[in-house]
Amino acid sequence: MFKSTQALFGGLLWKTPWRLSSPQKARQRKRLRSVDRVVDTVSAALERNGQTSKAVSRWFAEMPREEEMLPKDKYTLFDKKEKSYRKSIHKLPKWTRVSQRVNPPGF
Amino acid sequence: MSYFRITLVRSAIGLPRRSTDVLKALGLKKLFHSVSPSVAGQIMKVKELVQVEECQYRLTKQEVHLERKPDPGYYTEKSCSEQRGELGGQ
Repeated sequence: MFKSTQALFGGLLWKTPWRLSSPQKARQRKRLRSVDRVVDTVSAALERNGQTSKAVSRWFAEMPREEEMLPKDKYTLFDKKEKSYRKSIHKLPKWTRVSQRVNPPGF
Repeated sequence: MSYFRITLVRSAIGLPRRSTDVLKALGLKKLFHSVSPSVAGQIMKVKELVQVEECQYRLTKQEVHLERKPDPGYYTEKSCSEQRGELGGQ
């Protein structure tokens, strides 16, 4: 049944909050740490066997760890269309299952 | 010889085809993969979706099942066959 709510009736009304809540941020940190843990395990195992992997060494060279990241980079990402050049990370499609850690320098 | 124990914890639904294909290639029914650069590269492709441990040996399917088995909450002091044997002897 059609229920005339502001969101359905009035055209432009976005129900997605513009910022993350604190539990969302906590879970984001948890996910970042779990990815770090996976990469650490893989690289430690390879090292013990005397092997290297290009993907792993590249990750260590390019990506910051969770504790090294600024809050700004953990919870927001670069967007050229925003006034402040930043939008909240939950606007990124599939944001809980992709790694988005670095942003353009200077932004 | 050590192994990666890979567990799928998040789904690849809605992610690029590549991630699904990597998961299929890893064949996570197999669970244990020997440590090698090619497996490491595959894990790196789906690192957000899996949990990885390093093991020294492959557990059998039975052992993995027993790991997950809950505590039954009771224990038998004597098995039935033993008791029956005693009764038969009397």
